[in-house]
Amino acid sequence: MKLRLLIHEYNNAYTNMAIDEALLQSAKPTLRLYKWKPSAISIGYFQSIKEEVNLAECGRHGVDVVRRITGGGAVYHDTHGEITYSVVLPASLFPTIMESYHAIGKCLIAGLRELGINAQYAGINDIVVNGKKISGSAQTRRHGFILQHGTLLIKVEPEKMFSLLKVGKEKISDKEIKRIEERVTSIEKEIGRIDEEEIKNAIIKGFEIGLNAEFEERKMEEKEKRMAEKLVEKYESREWNFKR
Amino acid sequence: MKAGNGILKGEYKVKGGKLIKCMIELQEGKIKEIKIHGDFFMYPEEAIEKLENGLKEIKFEEEEIKDAIEKALKGVELIGVSINDFVYAIMNSKRIQQI
Repeated sequence: MKLRLLIHEYNNAYTNMAIDEALLQSAKPTLRLYKWKPSAISIGYFQSIKEEVNLAECGRHGVDVVRRITGGGAVYHDTHGEITYSVVLPASLFPTIMESYHAIGKCLIAGLRELGINAQYAGINDIVVNGKKISGSAQTRRHGFILQHGTLLIKVEPEKMFSLLKVGKEKISDKEIKRIEERVTSIEKEIGRIDEEEIKNAIIKGFEIGLNAEFEERKMEEKEKRMAEKLVEKYESREWNFKR
Repeated sequence: MKAGNGILKGEYKVKGGKLIKCMIELQEGKIKEIKIHGDFFMYPEEAIEKLENGLKEIKFEEEEIKDAIEKALKGVELIGVSINDFVYAIMNSKRIQQI
């Protein structure tokens, strides 16, 4: 299968989410890698911004907050601490939704293996190393195509991450971990170095292996850019971000 | 006994699954308003509004709530939660305010 590869550097939260939605609407098989500037929190479609996010703390740190079109949980996207991927694929490639999560998870695991990290699939949408989360993903579907996006932690400051998020006690107790800091890890923690080129190449390689895909690096089409520009307005709006 | 008036809040972590949070306004033993939040997945996502609307004016009784949820989520795919988990979260919500 041939996939378009989009390597994007930094965008703000609203533009990042607008581009992902535009790519889904455009419905061309694509892998996109990107980062967030300023750092931001994305919340799941079904979450309440006030319940999940410490807005005062975000304000103090200049951290944006945006609602995704995908379900799942709140994610902190640190400018220097993570790489986000998004992938648009025909839904017909996978018999069920869960199989599509697993198939894309396998790509991420293969990518991490390229870096010498032995990761496993956990739960519905997480990738862990020795039980600690290194990646989380969320997926939506429209007119026969899926959009899955997710984070890959490069460098983690758990204290900052959890000061920005309101982490419920129930969620922690279920995982039987006393200290929330012990719940996450990062590429830096696992291999002791951060080389963004190496990481990006490893993710791409992981998708090549996992999807048996060939990539061609391209740019967004003008039509997609216009669509994204229009969608930015939605993602910037209070109406969207506070809708639930 | 939860019948009557009041604001109820529920939080239920599905074992090995996701978290459901709900906020319910009861009036004369019926759901006047309900908001359901969480980190679960629902396809299509817009079904959440159908779910919340489908629960309005429903008596705060387990069977009626379950029927309303089943009706609202017909053909909807849930991941990380089930219809019974929504029922449990709602029925086990606690009164936080009397009105």
